[in-house]
Amino acid sequence: MSKIEEVKVLVETGKSKKVAAAVQEALDAGDKAQDILDAMIASMGVVGDRFSSGEIFVPEMLIAAKAMSKGVEVLKPVMAGDGSSSLGTCIMGTVAGDLHDIGKNLVVMMLESAGFDMVDLGVDVPAERFVEAVKENNNVVLIACSGLLTTTMPALKEAVQTIKAAYPDMKVIVGGAPVTQEYANEIGADGYAPDAGSSASKAKELIGA
Amino acid sequence: MLTKRQNLMETIKGGQPDRFVNQYEFLELIRESPKEAFMTPMGTEVKNAWGITIRWPEGQIGSFPVHDHGHKVLNDITEWREYVKAPSVDYPAERWTEAIAHAKAVDRNEKFVTAFVTPGIFELTHYLMGMEDALMSYYEEPEAMHELIEYLTEYELQYAQQLIDNLHPDALFHHDDWGSQISSFMSPETFKEFILPAYKKIYGFYKDNGVELIVHHSDSYGVNLVPFMIEMGIDIWQGVMNTNNIPELIKEYGGQISFMGGLHSGEIDFPDWTPEIVMEHVERACKECGKHYFIPNLSQGAPISSFPGVYEATSEAIDKMSAELF
Repeated sequence: MSKIEEVKVLVETGKSKKVAAAVQEALDAGDKAQDILDAMIASMGVVGDRFSSGEIFVPEMLIAAKAMSKGVEVLKPVMAGDGSSSLGTCIMGTVAGDLHDIGKNLVVMMLESAGFDMVDLGVDVPAERFVEAVKENNNVVLIACSGLLTTTMPALKEAVQTIKAAYPDMKVIVGGAPVTQEYANEIGADGYAPDAGSSASKAKELIGA
Repeated sequence: MLTKRQNLMETIKGGQPDRFVNQYEFLELIRESPKEAFMTPMGTEVKNAWGITIRWPEGQIGSFPVHDHGHKVLNDITEWREYVKAPSVDYPAERWTEAIAHAKAVDRNEKFVTAFVTPGIFELTHYLMGMEDALMSYYEEPEAMHELIEYLTEYELQYAQQLIDNLHPDALFHHDDWGSQISSFMSPETFKEFILPAYKKIYGFYKDNGVELIVHHSDSYGVNLVPFMIEMGIDIWQGVMNTNNIPELIKEYGGQISFMGGLHSGEIDFPDWTPEIVMEHVERACKECGKHYFIPNLSQGAPISSFPGVYEATSEAIDKMSAELF
């Protein structure tokens, strides 16, 4: 097994304690940092698909994302100043009135693993805060809004409409247990992901990556 | 006409119920028993004897454990012995007075005197650590997690002894949420390794001490966990959401376990609810699931609703379906 293959397997199986050494060994063996990063991103794509299909569960996805972040830590100094790997900045938050953060945190991890620079606004985020965050950050290409409660679905609508009023061309993706594709269409969101596993591919599709 | 208790037993044994069991009617929950605070009134915060901070922010629909900086009891599972200290279950006798009086006042032919326990073992692990850390610890530090669960199980058994000695309960209503609306939090294999053995001990202990009925709350998806629910001794899974295929579950497991729920609180219990919406959902659930091994009920883990009137409207709708179908 090549060193890159080894890194891929370690990320997919969430071996966070071993992945940093494996990434370093791959670099030492002459593999390019970008290739190693691409391999880890591909691994997380596999993990996301397995989650969406019900083959794996939340913990497996969490430990895979943790393993990837350990690998990225080794690559960062090597790739410093090389912005080519970033897909742009994504602002994410759970909408006003809603304190649920597990699904939102999973999506943050998956999008980060896919190559987005993530800005996590946390939970109970007022609609205007998403707009402010676009002003405060560079190269924002996507906003992701999460809502878990039927009672906070109006806040999801308000968030999308407030963002679109300020930035009509900004891509907005929504998700959360009560959200459907139909509801996403109704409130003017550009995209919808039914679960964290599929959020990364949908996000990349929205920005044309 | 059967008593509420008799009607429940006919329903879960596949006998001759004379109406639908109406939500929680068969359980007399003894909620006055002394215990650590895991809930707090809206707008307040409390730190319980485990060291867990519970907060109910204004405008929200419930209490949450707080896990931001400085609020986690346990940051590293391998150090659990240092940080997790179970509270004493030896409450002074006067703290039991109200609960004992309540239990004594119940007509046990009519209803089950029901001990109420929350949170469960899994919930306690993530109350102590935060959800992400807890879930990862099951996979990354299984040995330490096994030890912690054994410790929490021992605590639960000690508390169970107190409940049994003081209330002589006929039933247990026990919370432990094991999934989201669309999946279980952990794989069946992990659940079998960690959670099943703990509950076999806990529920086995209650049954060995005169508790006839185990009702377990998990308002979630959980089709993949039902065989384990049966193995650990659950008689009724309360909170079963309609994201599970309940008619299929009844067909496959009816007689071994019964299903209480089918009415998604999120679809019925919201600010703009109407009696018509409630009726529509109740009618669908009752007609789809039938008269045996099913108890129509909002998925919420207590006989309440988040918005005034919804619980009562649901009960009325169930009575109407009983009149129509029985």
